[in-house]
Amino acid sequence: MSLNEALGDKPVHRSRIPRASARRADGDRTAIARLTLVLLLVLSVVSLLLSVATGASDASVLGVLKALLTGAEDTVLSMRDRIIVFDIRLPRALLGFLIGAALAMSGTVMQGLFRNPLADPGLVGISSGSALGAVLVIVLGSSLPAGIVFTLGAYTLPIAAFGGGLATTLLLYRIATRGGQTSIATMLLAGIAIAALAGAVTGILVYMADDKQLRDVTFWGLGSLAGMTWLKVFTAGPLILLSLLVVPFLARGLNAVTLGEAAAFHMGVKVQRLKYIAVVTVAAAVGASVAVSGGIGFVGIVVPHLLRLVIGPDHRYLLPASALLGGVLLLAADMLARTIVAPAELPIGIITALAGAPFFLWVLLRDRARSGW
Amino acid sequence: MENHMIRASNLTVRLSGKTIVQGVSLEARAGQITAIVGPNGSGKTTTLKAVAGEIASEGAITLNGRDIRALEPWQLAVRRAVLPQAAVVAFPFTVREIVRLGLSVGPNRHAERVETITSAALAAVDLAGFAGRFYQELSGGEQQRVQLARVLSQIWEPVLDGEPCFLLLDEPVSALDIRHQLAVMRLAKRYCEGGGGVIAVLHDLNLTALFADHMVMMRGGRVVEAGPPVSVMTDDAMEAVFGCRMCVNGVPSHGIPFVLPQTARV
Repeated sequence: MSLNEALGDKPVHRSRIPRASARRADGDRTAIARLTLVLLLVLSVVSLLLSVATGASDASVLGVLKALLTGAEDTVLSMRDRIIVFDIRLPRALLGFLIGAALAMSGTVMQGLFRNPLADPGLVGISSGSALGAVLVIVLGSSLPAGIVFTLGAYTLPIAAFGGGLATTLLLYRIATRGGQTSIATMLLAGIAIAALAGAVTGILVYMADDKQLRDVTFWGLGSLAGMTWLKVFTAGPLILLSLLVVPFLARGLNAVTLGEAAAFHMGVKVQRLKYIAVVTVAAAVGASVAVSGGIGFVGIVVPHLLRLVIGPDHRYLLPASALLGGVLLLAADMLARTIVAPAELPIGIITALAGAPFFLWVLLRDRARSGW
Repeated sequence: MENHMIRASNLTVRLSGKTIVQGVSLEARAGQITAIVGPNGSGKTTTLKAVAGEIASEGAITLNGRDIRALEPWQLAVRRAVLPQAAVVAFPFTVREIVRLGLSVGPNRHAERVETITSAALAAVDLAGFAGRFYQELSGGEQQRVQLARVLSQIWEPVLDGEPCFLLLDEPVSALDIRHQLAVMRLAKRYCEGGGGVIAVLHDLNLTALFADHMVMMRGGRVVEAGPPVSVMTDDAMEAVFGCRMCVNGVPSHGIPFVLPQTARV
């Protein structure tokens, strides 16, 4: 016997569920979320194509399309154009999209996990840990045992950054976990402390660095998508792709955690396991991104905020939508970075911070006015 | 049928070295409202949390005869739902989305009836028409009823596969006006009449007297009295538990007005 019958209420029939137009007033944002996902998919394809098509040199969109579709046999493109499109722009577009997706998705996961719309991989020290790993290699790279550098080659920097990010995350997890329970508050605060510590050690390394290393560190830290190669795509790409594939499985759990960890457990979620998978996944995605592109800020905070305004906080839609919009926005920022001072280019981190920080403040003030935070 | 209850025996809970609950035993049978009453800090909520499987405890806890510590979270979630005392929702969910969480998280036994049950659960807590509102914009009492609708939707059927389900409610009426207090308690009653069970931490002694089939009186982490309200609600028991002398069934002197929910007619 259902409670409905127990209550003596008339059963509500499915046919009475209102049409899509009326649904939003009914508190159901499923339809608009699905529509948004489709739009973002289209935008993603468009931005990837545009990103490959634009740049300081003059390869036509049509030529690029033909080149992409027919492969190397095309004669419309000169050898130079082919190199520009396939070996410079294409890896840059692909990796740029993946990094934007990874950063935005990581921000969404962290915010869901910490139940705090301000949480971000940057905030809990994961980015700082990755940065420390990278700077360590840049500054002390010459004094590393030759064997290590020889074996790892171009992979040394990404691996060091990923290692730094993972080490920070695990340290954070150890500090914040007691008796099988992770305290979100401790984790957040410990993250701030660890970020400060990693920043200080990075500072010491920077102080020790010579002029060339200083330049490397500074440019890397500003964040840039310049110099993306297929090698970098193959180093960072798989890690990012893997984490993007894992994350959708966390959506229901993250939805439940929105009501608190206890409530999530009441609803049948293995909260400890959820936290563990989420944190390791974010470390992998952020470590891989930071390794190849340096510090690109605000994507992880701005993108989820924007999307929540439109489709609501349901992670089943928010996670994939964040990944797509993150990719689109980072490619857009990159196109701006490449064209605004062409033929030179701005580090993309400057653009995301210039656009992101005021936007973030605006959202913050708007939200405070609306819901009284 | 013998096993259709939540049974805790000799339950002891220590939180950071301090013993909060000591040697508590209780039986909450299907078909009954079991009320836990007692002063602040007497261990009511801690007992409920232990029974929910949420915090570590010593002593045996069984649900329909099965050890709850041997059950996976999703197995527990099919059989019992918990209304916490305070619920802060981190993001701007609509009322419908909150209630739907009760169905969409974990093992969803009613995939095809999500919208139907969501609407019916909202109607059951007198919030029909609130589905499109944002949770954060509601009053405290309305938020409490939204949470109750979510909890209700999680174990919508009081009896599933021949076994009863249990609602664990921590102060379910604390933020409600008298009409909604009565409505929520009637809802709990009907859940029991449907074959399910309810454990509720309550502060209102009159509502307890009116609705509880079984009441457990706690003080200092121990059970002082347990039984049907009619037999355990005595002047002496009140004084022993709450530390103030009260006259059960007494009428105030000097013509001071009093209103009892027992007299309500809806």
